[in-house]
Amino acid sequence: MADTRPQPRFNPWPAAIFTILCVLAVLFLLPTVGVLLSSVKTTREISMGELWSLPASLYLGNFAEVLGNPAVHQYFLNTLLVTLPATAVSIALGVMAGYVFAKLPFPGSNLLFLVIVAGMFFPPQVILVPLFRLFNGLGLIDTLWPVIIVHSALGLPICVLMMRNFFATVPNALREAAIMEGASEWQVLTRVILPLSLPALAVLATLQFTWIWNDFLWPLIFTQSDSKRTIMIGIVNLKGQYSVAWGVQGALSLVASLPTLLVFLFFQRFFIKGMTMGAVKG
Amino acid sequence: MEQHNRFWRIALLALPLAVFGLFVVWPLFSSFYYSFTNWNGFDANYSFVGFDNFAKITTDRLFMQAAINTTLWMVAAIVLPTALGLMLALLLDSRVTGARVFKSIFYLPICLSAVIVGQIWTWIYQPDWGLLNTLVTQATGEKFKYAWLAKPDSALWSVIVAWSWQQTGLSMVIYLAGLTAIPGDLLEVCEIEGASPWQRFRRVVLPLLAPSTVVVVALSVINSLKGFDILYIMTGGGPFNSSDTLAMHMYNESFKKYLMGYGSAISVVLFLIALAIIGLYFRQLRKVDRIYG
Amino acid sequence: MKQISRRGILLGSLAVPVLGMGRMAWAQSGEVTISHYFTGELGLKAFNDQVAKFTEATGIALKESPVGHEDFKTDILVRAAGNSLPDVFSYWAGARVQFIVDSNALHPIDAMWAANGLDAVIAKPVADSATLYNGSRYLVPFNYHYAGMFYNVQVLADAGMTAPPATWGEFLALCETLKTKGIAPIALGSKNRWPAQFWFDYLLLRTAGPDYRARLMSGAAKYSDPEVAAALALWKELFDKGYFVENANADDWTDASDKVARGEAAMTLMGTWITGYWNGNGLVPGQDYDFFEFPRVKDGVPNAAVGPVDGLVIAANAANVEGAEKFLAFMVSDAGVQAAWANAQGALSANVNVDPASYNAVMQKAAATVAAAEAFAFNYDLATPPPVAEVGLSMFTRFIDDPSQADAILAQVATDTEAAFKE
Repeated sequence: MADTRPQPRFNPWPAAIFTILCVLAVLFLLPTVGVLLSSVKTTREISMGELWSLPASLYLGNFAEVLGNPAVHQYFLNTLLVTLPATAVSIALGVMAGYVFAKLPFPGSNLLFLVIVAGMFFPPQVILVPLFRLFNGLGLIDTLWPVIIVHSALGLPICVLMMRNFFATVPNALREAAIMEGASEWQVLTRVILPLSLPALAVLATLQFTWIWNDFLWPLIFTQSDSKRTIMIGIVNLKGQYSVAWGVQGALSLVASLPTLLVFLFFQRFFIKGMTMGAVKG
Repeated sequence: MEQHNRFWRIALLALPLAVFGLFVVWPLFSSFYYSFTNWNGFDANYSFVGFDNFAKITTDRLFMQAAINTTLWMVAAIVLPTALGLMLALLLDSRVTGARVFKSIFYLPICLSAVIVGQIWTWIYQPDWGLLNTLVTQATGEKFKYAWLAKPDSALWSVIVAWSWQQTGLSMVIYLAGLTAIPGDLLEVCEIEGASPWQRFRRVVLPLLAPSTVVVVALSVINSLKGFDILYIMTGGGPFNSSDTLAMHMYNESFKKYLMGYGSAISVVLFLIALAIIGLYFRQLRKVDRIYG
Repeated sequence: MKQISRRGILLGSLAVPVLGMGRMAWAQSGEVTISHYFTGELGLKAFNDQVAKFTEATGIALKESPVGHEDFKTDILVRAAGNSLPDVFSYWAGARVQFIVDSNALHPIDAMWAANGLDAVIAKPVADSATLYNGSRYLVPFNYHYAGMFYNVQVLADAGMTAPPATWGEFLALCETLKTKGIAPIALGSKNRWPAQFWFDYLLLRTAGPDYRARLMSGAAKYSDPEVAAALALWKELFDKGYFVENANADDWTDASDKVARGEAAMTLMGTWITGYWNGNGLVPGQDYDFFEFPRVKDGVPNAAVGPVDGLVIAANAANVEGAEKFLAFMVSDAGVQAAWANAQGALSANVNVDPASYNAVMQKAAATVAAAEAFAFNYDLATPPPVAEVGLSMFTRFIDDPSQADAILAQVATDTEAAFKE
């Protein structure tokens, strides 16, 4: 990738650029640092107007409060129970449909592809009430199932788009050779094509995981008991309980963001590669 | 062979299409159905009112306000995260020391949820002890107490800035991906031919980045059309509807005024706008494809 | 290696929910489902304690879903629209209940009311104003609140107040004294709009009277009337003289309460739930804070008290009507439950058997004030239909942002409310 290129280009002043980047990085980090600072301060320090200054001492009581709260454990577990399967299912469905659109096209398949991709563009509030009626009819309200199902369905457009475009870059000769040797279509997909698709899968896994983990709307509407709530609803609910304890809120926000940050760091090296091959080409 | 392909097409498409049809397409059409009724959400009995709800849209002052705000948001979304993301990508593409760390820093906000971003920025804009006013106070030496989120002139823009802060990382990554696809020797040749850095950027890099730009702009527009969560957390469309977007307006009419039928009509209009944008997007994609594909 | 682990993760992630969610959320037989907004500072723990008493007394279990106050308004509508209302839910008496009664979504409780002799249990003014809709009973008052001028005792003593201002003139003089001392006389946190409504309510009630206000709320009178303009003019005077804190629209009601508690501001017009909030923060009723009645403005106008009634209602298609009725009857008639709940929440009980001595000093005074009032009126967003309330609440924040626009704002509101009443 970047490192294999012979020459740094379009840039005679590395030092100047480094400085500019440093300044921008500080500006970009400031908001997050604010939360970090608030999370290690006592409520008293914050109410004295000391939210944005460096703390005199590290106060870890906010984190203890958050991590020791059994409700927070339940929120975390629920969010995992939603995010992992929904991410996996949406990507699996995207792989299946994307493979057909890329390697087994048929008359009208392009149009069908566009219709699915168009699904990405709609504000999800549009289908809120009909979906509620549907899941209520199925007796699934106040379980995690509707959240999982809706995220799997709404993740389809992006997954189909990325996988179809990625598969299109894989030479057809590979598939034909495998089929000549007697492999079934399923074997071609799982043994030949998918192992080549790790970058695209990594990008999708990161994006889907982040979106689903961070979602607020669907769990708000489809779950009702406190024991079924996800972490983002939990943050808003606990906001009332800790209305003046900004430090606790800060700590909770950090803890809640940790999984998505870890996923990003873990998959980061695939990211740009996957983006290049999947998203940019029409 | 053709028979074989047909079997696999059906086998592989059946499940994705069923899920998509049942949980996305069907609900979309049922909300069309409600847009022709006066349903209030509670009452099992409602009647058909024809195009009344759509006629009402044309006289709804708040709808106009929301439409203007959505347009502003879209324009800002095209300019702010796109330009900033492009700049960051160009700077980072120059093999600067610590590029990896910088990339992570700029990308980090994407990992945060709208709930958390909204909360952080509410603290920044807080009039009494928020970061922004604290900085202004220190710089000018005078107590500065402007309420960014509570003033109709600044509420929408304050939210847009927070939103752009979050979105820039995504634009940056897409542009970075586009930049790695530009062959290095091409630029070398230009340099040998005596092209200035600006000329190289304007005449070579920018045109070659057109596919990335299409994606970035499309993503920005889509996300601005969906602009809801962060607005819900930061201003709720206030003060007095001055920062309403169409999605927010639809939500208010449906769930606060209990006008489900009218709310559905607004979502139909939102759907049509989205449809127009999709059309433009695909046309643009095809054009880019023809030239550079 | 990579392949194996990937497949492992995939399979694992599919298996987890199957294990974790095998139990479906169907209500078990005998269970009563309830949805309510008593979360956070409004007392989830205290509510659960009361529910435990009911379960102990009757053996009926409850399946709860607490939802934050603001989100509750949406959540209950989505559930109604989806035809899955819980058996019991909390709701605000007044126009909001009227709205769902008119939509045939509630179960009348006249029989239960009579069987439990609730006429003898519930204070008549509250029973008359909050529980009857279209001639039938639909709601039991779980608790109610009163909105008054809550103040920092120390600050007002320093400003030389010996007796609360009884008239508008005295009130203005007090504000002036405070302002010259460098203290913001009145705190207001109208970010969520509703805290501003009590000002409009009281100014209108004290000048035009309860009868006129009732007509305005129902659409019989108009926002273009001189009565409305006169009330708004009095409010504007307070802004023009600089008696309100800066940036009221940027603060929550809790922020405004904090300002009074810290002594940065002197008083705030708020409901009695502020006492629950302040007690939770360690303030002592009567010693650190107290309240006075909204001053008299015009002579000859009947004295009215403003506040909301938190009610419990039963859905028309409730699965467990019998259990739900038992729950409502128990929660409202058990004096122990009522006293404990009122105290925890900083509310008043509508149950006549609750001994006033169980309240703290400030709440005793609040109870006495309501009892002495000639009328009890619901606050604005509970008194007028939801579409109209939306228009009005936005009007208040717009007015607070720029009071000089009062005339233009009123003209706009007059047209908008007229349209909203037609909905």
